[in-house]
Amino acid sequence: MLIFSPRPVHWRPVPHLLLGALLLAGCARQSSAPTLQVFAASSFTDAFQALETAFEIDHPGADVVLSFAGSQVLRLQIELGAGADVFASANAHHMQTLIDQGRVHDSRIFARNALTLITPLDNPADIQQFKDLPRARRLLVGTEAVPVGSYTAEVLRRSAAVLGHAFAAEVRARVVSRESNVRLIRAKVALGEADAAIVYRTDAAATDRVREVPIPPALNVAADCLIGRVEGGALPALADRWTGFVGGNAGQRILAQHGFVVDR
Amino acid sequence: MSAGLTRRWPTLLVALPMLFLLALPVLALLLSSSPTDLAAAVDHPLFLPALSLSARTSLISLAIVLLAGTPLAWWLAAAPPGRSRTVELLVDLPMVIPPAVLGIALLQAFGRGGLMGPVLMGLDLQIPFTTSAVILAQVVVSAPFYIQSAAAAFRRVDPDLLLVARTLGESRTGAFLRVSLPMALPGMVGGAALAWARSLGEFGATLLFAGSLSGTTQTMPLAIYTALESDVRVALALALVLGGAAVLVLVALRAVPGLWARQRSRGGPT
Repeated sequence: MLIFSPRPVHWRPVPHLLLGALLLAGCARQSSAPTLQVFAASSFTDAFQALETAFEIDHPGADVVLSFAGSQVLRLQIELGAGADVFASANAHHMQTLIDQGRVHDSRIFARNALTLITPLDNPADIQQFKDLPRARRLLVGTEAVPVGSYTAEVLRRSAAVLGHAFAAEVRARVVSRESNVRLIRAKVALGEADAAIVYRTDAAATDRVREVPIPPALNVAADCLIGRVEGGALPALADRWTGFVGGNAGQRILAQHGFVVDR
Repeated sequence: MSAGLTRRWPTLLVALPMLFLLALPVLALLLSSSPTDLAAAVDHPLFLPALSLSARTSLISLAIVLLAGTPLAWWLAAAPPGRSRTVELLVDLPMVIPPAVLGIALLQAFGRGGLMGPVLMGLDLQIPFTTSAVILAQVVVSAPFYIQSAAAAFRRVDPDLLLVARTLGESRTGAFLRVSLPMALPGMVGGAALAWARSLGEFGATLLFAGSLSGTTQTMPLAIYTALESDVRVALALALVLGGAAVLVLVALRAVPGLWARQRSRGGPT
């Protein structure tokens, strides 16, 4: 037996109330104080959080809101009209696409990142140096669609030339997952579910739950990190001050502390 | 019945906002892809391995959910309310917990460092990053949908009918198979369709527990996510293909109880 049956209801205010509630919910966002929306690649998470703190001390009254995701997801959000003031990309291609579309201005390289090998703290596959990588039974890498994945592919191409094609083929055969989020890859290594992973140096530097095994400089890459002002942002002057701060002495010092390679 | 219609339009007005919210994104998805985009998606190297993996894993998951979930649903329907309520809460939990967290929980249950880790290591079984992990994640997230719906269907079976069947000489199993099961079937099929759809769309737990490797663990939702990183249009078209396939199967499943009923009524009086 049905207890509630959908009967015709002669009560009209309901749809109006619903619509009203929806409209109110939509408007609520507008009322807060102006904030600088910074869209940054997830590999910048820890460094940018430290930069935010320092910037807000230097600029009382300025409120920086950081939004982290993969560079390509951020690019998509900006293309679809998300209200960003600043875009920081882990890869030149996505930045260049937005510049070509006229959506980002004054882009520049603010730091460089490199790749590194990480293992769980107990290092179950006993990987002491990069050459030992084929010992890993489960290796995680980034998918080639994301910057870290294309850099990893480059490192493997170089290692094929230096350490032999057999080495590179063996390493590729150990890959159990190609993922798009470096932090997720790191978490799986920290949990001990993978024997090794190739991630950014900055990701390894930001945690003490994984062990770092350096990649020889001859095989490694220099990943450009770019920052620029987004067209149509609400606070262009503050956006320029933020990018200036990131490229200035204080900003560069913070970036270096987080594992980035900086010029000064 | 024009009188019925005029009395119904206020109901429609109240129902409209929800309908609008549900239909608009689907419409936008439909409009987003041109036939060339769809062709490009079907030609995409990730497409076929992902579609076949999704089809295989979601069907195996459904079989496991039906086989292992039906007894639990039956027990829930028959158990005294006090006891069943606690178990029901447990069954509902995977619906409430975010799938990504479920993925971590699965790692901590079946991973190397997990609760079952030593046992699985002893058997030389590795679950994370394998197709089994995909299936396991799908079973955990989808089973509640089937179990709830099947339990509700079993509860609606009149106990007097079972009593009559027993007095007519049926065993307990016979009464279950010949009375409860056919009567609860529409509800079970509905729950199975929901569970299958949930498995097909499963993303978060799979990404964490199984990872993403084309042909092994990369199901359609994961392929769509990966495509999103390189080409949005391919991702949208892939999503459209997945949605289309799902609609076909769901319509077919909805039709099954009707066909079943017609066949039974043709077979003789019930």
